[in-house]
Amino acid sequence: MRWRAVTCAALAATAVVCAVIAAAAPAPVPAAPSSEASSEASSGASSGAALSSEASFHSVRSYADVAEPVRLRIPTLNIDAPLTHLGVAPDRTIEVPTDFAVPGWFDQGPRPGQPGPAVILGHVDSKAGPAVFYRLSRLPVGAEVLVDRADGSTVTFRVRSTQHVAKTAFPTDLVYAPTLEPSLRLVTCGGAFDHTRSSYVDNVIVYADP
Amino acid sequence: MPGGPLSSTAGQSPADVALQLEALLGQHSVLVADMMRSRIRNDADFAQAASTAVTRNTDDLTAVVKAMFGDQAAAAFRGTWSDHTTAFFNYARGLAAGDNAAREDARAQLVKFESGLGDFFAGASQGRLAPDAARSALTQHVDHLLRQADEYAARDHDRAADDYRTAYSHAFGIGQTLAATLLPPAEAAKLDQPSWRLRSELDRLLGEHIALAVATLRAGASESPDFPAAAANLDKNTDQLTAAMGALFGPAAGTQFMTLWADHIDALVGYTTAVAGNDGAGRQAALDKLRGFEGKLAAFLGAATGSRIPPAELASAFLHHDQMLTQQVDAMAGKDYARAHELAYGAYQDMFGLAKQLSVAFGETVTAQLPQGGAETGAGGAAPR
Repeated sequence: MRWRAVTCAALAATAVVCAVIAAAAPAPVPAAPSSEASSEASSGASSGAALSSEASFHSVRSYADVAEPVRLRIPTLNIDAPLTHLGVAPDRTIEVPTDFAVPGWFDQGPRPGQPGPAVILGHVDSKAGPAVFYRLSRLPVGAEVLVDRADGSTVTFRVRSTQHVAKTAFPTDLVYAPTLEPSLRLVTCGGAFDHTRSSYVDNVIVYADP
Repeated sequence: MPGGPLSSTAGQSPADVALQLEALLGQHSVLVADMMRSRIRNDADFAQAASTAVTRNTDDLTAVVKAMFGDQAAAAFRGTWSDHTTAFFNYARGLAAGDNAAREDARAQLVKFESGLGDFFAGASQGRLAPDAARSALTQHVDHLLRQADEYAARDHDRAADDYRTAYSHAFGIGQTLAATLLPPAEAAKLDQPSWRLRSELDRLLGEHIALAVATLRAGASESPDFPAAAANLDKNTDQLTAAMGALFGPAAGTQFMTLWADHIDALVGYTTAVAGNDGAGRQAALDKLRGFEGKLAAFLGAATGSRIPPAELASAFLHHDQMLTQQVDAMAGKDYARAHELAYGAYQDMFGLAKQLSVAFGETVTAQLPQGGAETGAGGAAPR
């Protein structure tokens, strides 16, 4: 087994260290004078109450699930909108909201506040004019982003940085890949517009932390 | 002073060495707290074994510093670090004796040593870690360990348990900060990649599981009054591990994992209770439950990761994990504290091999399902430039 082999090598190494320690054994620990603390500990060392608490112990078993996000609020940009759900399209790209006024949460990743990066997408504009994330690229560092959840709770993030990146070099890992630190990514379009493809060249990614 | 940037050691990348530093600093916090507590309760045999474990951890930390910066820096580090651990012991001795002057003297020594260690690490970072920030982080480390000792001596077991856990997380975090600043920038950037961050966080959670499980089982084996506080601490780690599994694999997987993990902890505590009560049948029943758990958790993780880790391999790893913990309980009950510490030390180190393997499997499994490329989130051509 790969990791076991590494461990055994480490243990072998520490065995050598132990031998060195043994050869230069630290001075014996002197006994403390009697004190309240020591008498407390010794009196508690065979406590029937303690044994009883062990016998009655049961590990925690109630999984505290984080509720799904239902609304996005960004006061600096006057955004206050319900959230829709997004998944992965058949061509492996991410789905985008069908309503240009409504952002969407990628529901195959973490929920906002869970360990890992939660991702919310919104359109920057439509052929009819500005959409919900029209001014996202102007969101300053430190701005508050609030996500309301189905159980009535709200989780607050603050903008850490904003990145403009070509779609052809989209940092999938940095946006979606799992970590165990709660965080939020807001994604929209930006940069030059390719009229032949009716598509922006870049994406704008806002990174926010609790 | 350190002479150069972090370098790789045989078979390990600089980033691997940096993660080892995180793990060893977290372990340092736990071992020092255990040593202080045993001194406070005047348990000389345990204190001797704990002191030896602290020395072993110092040796391992020194080896990491040597790998980073060479022999001269390692020698300088070891001297100050050893003095720093001795001062913690002296503080506990003053606390046990009710000798406030000795406590204050030890505290003053610690302030001096932390300042020296802060300067050492700031120098090693070649300007990437501000001396004030390094000193501040190390001062907090001292505060956590002294506070948990004060609370333990005052029989405030709940607060002592909180600070025990906080001290571990903070020391591990110091390791993360040091790792990011002691590595050359190109290597430090690697640590910021999601795969390495996932591994580092799993290291922290699984290392904490071992530290808190050992504390809980030792309290149980010695029928100590701090057992409920230690067990409540372990529950908090279980909550965090479960939250991680739920985020990675969904709520149903989170629920299933928590049930399995709780069975595992209940069986370990049941084993301890049986050993403390000299209940042979209860002991065997607990071992039977553990053998069942090992297979079930391995099957669960094998399914969750698309068999990226063979279940048989995982079951073997969990068996080894449980055996180290139960043998550690046996050693505690037999007052063979040197053996108990040796087993706990090995169990802690083992967790990082497991965390590495799990983080790779988790990362690959989740990443395989992620969308690819950019998002088509605009259609008008009027976005602000």
